[in-house]
Amino acid sequence: MPRLETHSVLCIRREGGVAHFPGLASPRRIHCGQCSDAQRQWLQDLLERAAQCPDTEGGADRRRLFIEIEEGESATGTLPVWSLSLDEAQAPEGLVALWRHGEWQV
Amino acid sequence: MGSLHCRSCRYGFMPPYVLERVAVQGSERLRNVARHTLTTDQTFRTQRGPQQVVEPLTAPLPRATPGQPARYIHSAEHRQELPGRLIRKEGEEASNDPAVDEAYRWLGATYRFFWEVFERDAIDGRGMPLIGTVHYGQDYDNAFWNGAQMVFGDGDGELFNRFTASLDVVAHELAHGVTEREAGLVYAYQSGALNESFSDVFGSLVRQHYLNRTAMQADWLIGAELLTDQVNGRAMRSLADPGTAYDDPVLGRDPQPGHMHDYVETQADNGGVHINSGIPNHAFYLVAMALGGYAWRAPGHIWYDTLRDPRLAADCDFATFAWLTEDNADRRFGRQSREVVAIREAWRAVGVTS
Repeated sequence: MPRLETHSVLCIRREGGVAHFPGLASPRRIHCGQCSDAQRQWLQDLLERAAQCPDTEGGADRRRLFIEIEEGESATGTLPVWSLSLDEAQAPEGLVALWRHGEWQV
Repeated sequence: MGSLHCRSCRYGFMPPYVLERVAVQGSERLRNVARHTLTTDQTFRTQRGPQQVVEPLTAPLPRATPGQPARYIHSAEHRQELPGRLIRKEGEEASNDPAVDEAYRWLGATYRFFWEVFERDAIDGRGMPLIGTVHYGQDYDNAFWNGAQMVFGDGDGELFNRFTASLDVVAHELAHGVTEREAGLVYAYQSGALNESFSDVFGSLVRQHYLNRTAMQADWLIGAELLTDQVNGRAMRSLADPGTAYDDPVLGRDPQPGHMHDYVETQADNGGVHINSGIPNHAFYLVAMALGGYAWRAPGHIWYDTLRDPRLAADCDFATFAWLTEDNADRRFGRQSREVVAIREAWRAVGVTS
């Protein structure tokens, strides 16, 4: 997993569930350049825990989180350099809370 | 205090729907939720480790006798651990917990539908216990089938009510188990949309059966009880008129097509399984309306026959499914029957066949 740098952008999407609501499907983008060092480290730790989460198979209407680290700029936007998909039920609480409520304190 | 920022909003990294409610309606509840988040994160606490995968419940629960369900309703007590604490099992008195008692009642109604209409004994046809968990997570606005049991959140109270409130949503989840056992439709793209459509069709039929409504009398909605008064919408989906269930500043607009002209090519939502299911949903509705009477009779039997048809491949597409429904109608009612004609015309009307 790459280190989160000041030029990194963390993108979190949530998909699935019993219905698809377009208004709730927008990705959350966190620009690491606007984070303190402590916040960036908190995010890094969170991603490393997420990467170790077991995944689940089967079932229906489950929700999944899609995480990408984007870096740099291209003509079409930022470039993903790392991605992860995991079952929301298996994700670290902090990641789900970050998607839902956004703000946090350090 | 630090807040993370999204490119498109200047309020910090608050999801748009939360911001919308806070800004427009100043909900005390959401302010409390946000405050709670701030508080819990304030200590920069060490996150707990990965949650353990909960194995599907394999305890030897008593199986149902034919015609009698075996219901086991648990509470996750707002954690995300399954199955949680057993609150009410088959034959026990009401618990006075509305979510528990709704799950119990609606799983019973769904069992009775499959038994009385199709003589199917539960999810696996062999009396499999019906295991449900309510109060899953905090403000959890979803319901799902995990391959072994059904799981229901309480909703956030702002956009969504508790997910056990809706009979057709409870039936939708149980029907996923039936589809999984019978056809194993791959949960992606067109086969995934068929998987979703089976759950919506059976979900709606269970409701119609429970209320003793004909096709003409039915509302053909899925999840009408789930959306709060603050949402501009009637339900999550409409089989009668896909794409019209809601149009809300926060949820967005119902994306379901009712015709192949509007088929949505996407990788989101497992390839649009909850989006393009509007097309087979509407085909079923058209068949039911053309034939009239109770939709669980001829239309329901044809769809159920098709679900159990060994020719229904796990990666079946809409066109093949359309052909299979027509062939099953032919087998049950005859080639010249009005059922075959209704099915042929319905698939043509939604653009799956020409």
